[in-house]
Amino acid sequence: MKKLLWVALCLIALPAAAAIDGTEILKKVDRNLEPETYESYRQLTDIQPDGSKKVSVLYTMKKGRDKVVALFLAPASDKGRVTLRLADNMWLYIPDVGRPIRITSLQSVTGSVFNNADILRIDYTAEYNVETTEEQKDAYLLSLKAKTGEVAYDKLKMWVDKQALLPVTIECYAASGLLLKTLHFSNVKDFGGGIKRPATLETDSPLYKGYKSVMQWSGLKKRDFPDEIFTLNYLPRVQELRK
Amino acid sequence: MSPLRGSSVRWSLLLPLLLLSAVYAAAAEEFSFDASAYEKKPFEIGGYLQAKQEDFSLNRGGAFYKLGNVNQPQRDQLDRSTGTLELIGKLRQGIGTFDFHTHSDLQRDQSTHDHTNVLYEGAYSMRPDPGITIEAGKRTLRWGKGYAWNPIGFVERPKDPNDPELSREGLVMADADLIFNRDGPLQTIAFTPVLLPVGKDVNSDFGATGHLNPAAKLYLLYRDTDIDFAWQGQGSRPGRFGMDFSRNVTSNFEIHGEWARIQQFARPVTDNIGRVTNEVGNATSYLAGLRYLTEKDTTYIAEYYRNGTGYSDQEARQYYQLVDAAFAQLQQTGSCVLLPKALSLSQGSYGRPNPGKDYLYFRAQQKDALGIVYFQPSITAMMNVQDRSYQITPELLYTGVKNLDLRLRLLMLHGGSLTDFGEKQNSRKIELYARYYF
Repeated sequence: MKKLLWVALCLIALPAAAAIDGTEILKKVDRNLEPETYESYRQLTDIQPDGSKKVSVLYTMKKGRDKVVALFLAPASDKGRVTLRLADNMWLYIPDVGRPIRITSLQSVTGSVFNNADILRIDYTAEYNVETTEEQKDAYLLSLKAKTGEVAYDKLKMWVDKQALLPVTIECYAASGLLLKTLHFSNVKDFGGGIKRPATLETDSPLYKGYKSVMQWSGLKKRDFPDEIFTLNYLPRVQELRK
Repeated sequence: MSPLRGSSVRWSLLLPLLLLSAVYAAAAEEFSFDASAYEKKPFEIGGYLQAKQEDFSLNRGGAFYKLGNVNQPQRDQLDRSTGTLELIGKLRQGIGTFDFHTHSDLQRDQSTHDHTNVLYEGAYSMRPDPGITIEAGKRTLRWGKGYAWNPIGFVERPKDPNDPELSREGLVMADADLIFNRDGPLQTIAFTPVLLPVGKDVNSDFGATGHLNPAAKLYLLYRDTDIDFAWQGQGSRPGRFGMDFSRNVTSNFEIHGEWARIQQFARPVTDNIGRVTNEVGNATSYLAGLRYLTEKDTTYIAEYYRNGTGYSDQEARQYYQLVDAAFAQLQQTGSCVLLPKALSLSQGSYGRPNPGKDYLYFRAQQKDALGIVYFQPSITAMMNVQDRSYQITPELLYTGVKNLDLRLRLLMLHGGSLTDFGEKQNSRKIELYARYYF
């Protein structure tokens, strides 16, 4: 009788468990963080152990799941630099060099704890598969595995707020299991147009003890862009797209 | 067992995370950001101001020292101070933009006191459609994938392999950019046609006057590989065509290459008594290179360059012997028969920064070295493979002060008599600059 009751309970529980689909959660996280096609301004603040700061400002455009362009507006020494990402391919255009050079996801164009993959982030669903999903009291814990070896982090542990379906904390791991960095989302803000998401992202890394980088969003809004701007030839003219 | 049920409300994990989030939310308030300060303006101007000090150890026995200092006071050292101002600006109206880049410098050393004012770029461009740009004016195009050299840089002034990232003066031209994007393995097609006039007062250093030189580049992004096909029609210079490619083999390992053929290129070749013959034939140049980033943020760049218009070790030796003979003749007999020939050749292809046929280039740079953020030491080596002469350049770069770059480097040239780097004007150079961006 006890066995029968146990089987019955399991059968009742199964549909509830199956109703929570990690991939669906991740898709919602992607769309809740940003519309598929948008523009935004970001400020990156890199803080050194002695408290000194370096501030960069970027204008970002994204289209689809895997096309991103970021233009540096400040500091003056970096002004006019443009980075382009098309899926796993990344380029950096420096006005004086005059032609785009290929860069890697693990480098950082700003010298920040944020690397190029963080700065030119594309949809999580474009890069990761959900391996497991755990339901916790206020959060879902998604364990994500990179789809290819080209992705900057081999595994992610993502804590997702259950109500807002927005990430709270993400731990980024190398294939060896080494924790590379932790991303902390905070300061949820209404950007208008139905976009309500964290306006601040902080990161720290056991590899850069004492250093911290902070990313802040402003002017995030849906905007459609032609495909042509996500090409190497367009990079010198990207700044003309700002309104 | 369902993973969801298996979690069984792990408060022990979640509580610290929520607490941390609260802490980060509080910390976030320390930072404020309002993008309105960065709105696009109809007129923008920026640039940099640079102070540079160079100390040259002159190579008194070198062919190019002797040729550059005929009838001048002879010295072993030269100290040069240079102040540079570069202004970069944009003026926008409607679908059009006028942008400019000026270069001014003031130079002083023991023998000269000079200044230059050059318009590097000044062009008006129109974008009737995101995929179409048409422009006219002075523009610096940079074609090719090589770091130190670009065999397919057909419509540009040559880059300085000692400082490949230095801004350069452009050429007056009309050009367009037509971009097509599509789905599939061929993601991007971009076509860049160029018309470059050469006259007495326009681009006169490009080649023979009286020509409107056509050129074009076709760029393809095909299966994650950048591919360019470049062409320049016969006109002020012999016709030429070529291609390049660049690809990431892994996320931290890039390979690139260039190949170019110049048709019916006339190459003046001298013997050691100044008999010059013009050898006419097709010249093929190519470059193969890689860029590799290690886990410890060390970047390695290596390139091999075959210069199809360059001189073999034997040909270069003949020229250096001609220079020696010219000065011996001047000293022994007072005759100036050979010297003008040697001087004239030095102003042409024998006097290029890299006149040889085969070169190797290697650079290693370390980000945040010695635990100092924004401190980047590097070492660069360039070698003429045929005569084994070489140059080594250790460099220290610090960019930790806002908008200020500080760079110190030492160029050390090694090579015996009658070799490429052994016959240069300097044997050593120490260079320090401070560049402030505004």
